[in-house]
Amino acid sequence: MLFLQYLTAGVVTGCFLILATIGFSLTRQVEGFLNIAHAELLGIGAFATWWLNASQGWHILIAGPAAVVFTALIGLGIARTIYDPIRSRGPAVLLITSTGVAFVIGGVIDALVGTGIRTLDIGLATSYKPFGIRITDYQILVVALAAAVSVSLALFLNRTRIGLAIRARAVNPELAASRGVDVATTSRVTWLLSSGLAGLAGVMLAVIATLTTDLPFAQILQILAVAILAGLGSLYTVIASGLIIGIAMDVSVYWIPAGYRPLVAFSIVIIVLLFRSEGLAGRRAA
Amino acid sequence: MTGRDHARVPTQLGSLLEVNGVSKRFAGIQALGGDDGLSFQIDRGSFVGLIGPNGAGKSTLFNLLTGVLPADAGTIVFEGNDITAASSHQRAEHGIGRTFQTPRTFESLTVLDNVVVGATSPGERLRSALGRKWRRHEAGLVEQARDILDQVGLADRASEPVGDLSGGELRMLGVARQLIRRPTLLLLDEPTAGVHPLLQDRLADLLAGLHRQGMTLVVVEHNLHFLLAIAEHILVLTQGRLLAEGPPSHIRGDPAVVSAYLGEDHAA
Amino acid sequence: MNWPQLLITVATIGSIFGVVTLALNLQYARGGMINFGIVAYFAVGAYTYAIITQPPPKGLDQYAFGLDWPWWAGFLLAGIAALGFAALTGWPTLRLRGEYLALTTFAFAEVFHSFLLNERRIGNGTVGLSNVHRPFGDWGPIEEKYVFAGAAALLLIVTLAAFRQLLASPYGRALDAIRDDEVAAQSSGKPSADMRRQVFLISAVPVGLAGAVYAMFTTLAQPSLFTAEVTFVVWIALVLGGERSVYGAMLGAFGLVFFEEVVRALPFETVRSAQIAASVEHIITGVLFIAVLRYQPFDRIQRKVRAST
Repeated sequence: MLFLQYLTAGVVTGCFLILATIGFSLTRQVEGFLNIAHAELLGIGAFATWWLNASQGWHILIAGPAAVVFTALIGLGIARTIYDPIRSRGPAVLLITSTGVAFVIGGVIDALVGTGIRTLDIGLATSYKPFGIRITDYQILVVALAAAVSVSLALFLNRTRIGLAIRARAVNPELAASRGVDVATTSRVTWLLSSGLAGLAGVMLAVIATLTTDLPFAQILQILAVAILAGLGSLYTVIASGLIIGIAMDVSVYWIPAGYRPLVAFSIVIIVLLFRSEGLAGRRAA
Repeated sequence: MTGRDHARVPTQLGSLLEVNGVSKRFAGIQALGGDDGLSFQIDRGSFVGLIGPNGAGKSTLFNLLTGVLPADAGTIVFEGNDITAASSHQRAEHGIGRTFQTPRTFESLTVLDNVVVGATSPGERLRSALGRKWRRHEAGLVEQARDILDQVGLADRASEPVGDLSGGELRMLGVARQLIRRPTLLLLDEPTAGVHPLLQDRLADLLAGLHRQGMTLVVVEHNLHFLLAIAEHILVLTQGRLLAEGPPSHIRGDPAVVSAYLGEDHAA
Repeated sequence: MNWPQLLITVATIGSIFGVVTLALNLQYARGGMINFGIVAYFAVGAYTYAIITQPPPKGLDQYAFGLDWPWWAGFLLAGIAALGFAALTGWPTLRLRGEYLALTTFAFAEVFHSFLLNERRIGNGTVGLSNVHRPFGDWGPIEEKYVFAGAAALLLIVTLAAFRQLLASPYGRALDAIRDDEVAAQSSGKPSADMRRQVFLISAVPVGLAGAVYAMFTTLAQPSLFTAEVTFVVWIALVLGGERSVYGAMLGAFGLVFFEEVVRALPFETVRSAQIAASVEHIITGVLFIAVLRYQPFDRIQRKVRAST
């Protein structure tokens, strides 16, 4: 029974990781680099929610979406002013620059918010005990949102003109450009989407976690673990990787101390890389 | 073993390179070798021209011979040793040199160093790099490199960064970097493309000189005037298979070759 | 502000981080490898030194090993342990390129960090090892802190001299060739994979030694000293100083340490204002980092200097 309880917790963690990583993976595939600052965008979403909700007294259902929009705009702004001008210098320089961006955002959040635990002005979680396994309504919300986001993103990328254009760019940028895909527009939409998703994950972080200013940076480790494991794959490998890492981390607590959760996550990553250097998805495929 | 094309490039000195049933596919498309793979031999001291339309597999063949790409099937034997599993740098050490279709250079090094780095200096081993013995060797290498730069017409550019060279000059630099290694077998991928006609003549003289000294040369070239004038044996490749082979005079008159390659090339 | 004390701290810590930055410079600017887990090799050096020199466990100690060997044995073994750790981590990762290498080295460092946090038998877990053996006392009239600064500076100078000698040799030229165009370098007989592995291994040695000196100086080996932030700080130092030059890399390390120490030494009335200063320090460091990467002022200066000679 305890095992099943850990498994449930693992699924919830996995769903949160999916929310946190989808945007990161999207940038990785379309823009071609690893945006370390993605985790700090989660921080922006989380603390914007906290400020609007706890200080300004907005209802969470208004504060949350507002924070998502705010994060999306900040993400787009950073991309246009900082990443776009150095695009030609390659993914390594972009990756290193993004750590600088993470430092700046982290510093700004620290300066504005300060240390200590922040809590939202929302009701306490209600627990349910179906089949004897405890699960809270907020945990159910995370799972539902992860499912909803995955489905709507899949529909968007497969059914809409702009979504197809984004996928075309991810698979083959030169070919996409020569076939008339509008690089500027797809890039902006991608940034809005991925940053908005980071914002959404941030809102969820504010809802389910004890919020401190060093929490966002801690997320990058797990996001990276999921992203490396997924490799350059589709949306579906991100979902699978998120669940694998989330479940592995939480179920491992059944046997070994909870402090080893990150070790478990990265051990999986290293083992996978030993056998498949491009992650679960294998080589870049169409 | 039956049914394979077996071409033998005739000289008296015996076989230097044997390619047996080699094939390569890219994403399911056969780039080199038919059902039985590609087989041929190149004899020591020969001067071979390799021609064929675009996409015939000439550069792929070079990449398989030098270990840049692994072959899907078949074996490659060089000087009696099976080098199929050898890595790219090991094949270079064995004596196979090459240039590239698009010139490749080391942009952070000067023109002179781009040639010197072609040689394997004793100071390249970690243990001796911290000592002083390599310095004596170095002077000799620099002198050789200057000689070679003189032969390819780049002597007065020695101390410039490679970024200042033209496309044709970069091509000559690629040849120069291989010459300092004194390879047994030198594979040249389109050495005249973009090279000034005056330099082309100089290149032809240079290659003829190397051939006289006993170096085995295989040259991929679209400039047939250049190639048919200097090569003594021609291999014709189409769609990854050996279409014909023989001396230039024989190839010029071969109707299959003319329709598959020469005609189209002359029309273009 | 106590300037002499501040400057001596900057000289010591700056030298220690200067060594790490030099190693990163060798790996990245010459070897073309992005190591985003450099802190782990530093930590291996620090912990090895602490474990070799500390007395066997007693009382409340949770660590399992303490050899009580002399300081020089701990120092040398710190370098060897870092080399061993580089061999262990390099084996699965070095065939990966660019950002994948960055990610896996990062992952290794995180695994190692969480190992240190949780495995109490190595170094008391989160508490870490304290009272690490400090070898040099006062040397006659010279106070201990000056001896330390001198020792750290000596390590930096020796590392610099060794790297310069190596890079000025045909070995360095071959490395440059491999970084510029690996396929062409191989066709000139350069064993690129072997050479890259060598660079990865030898550059870990001074990092391990620097870790030992850091443990001596702080008398501590705790997980909280060896977080991913150290990696980022060293990367920032490297980029600030201009990644192409060894002197730039060192200057970057000293500049950054100086900046941090000054901010740390500023007197603040309240905890909150000290906190804000620390955040502002992060912001300024980050902005400098982004600006240097974008405008490459040091590369430009270098090019100008080269063009005028």
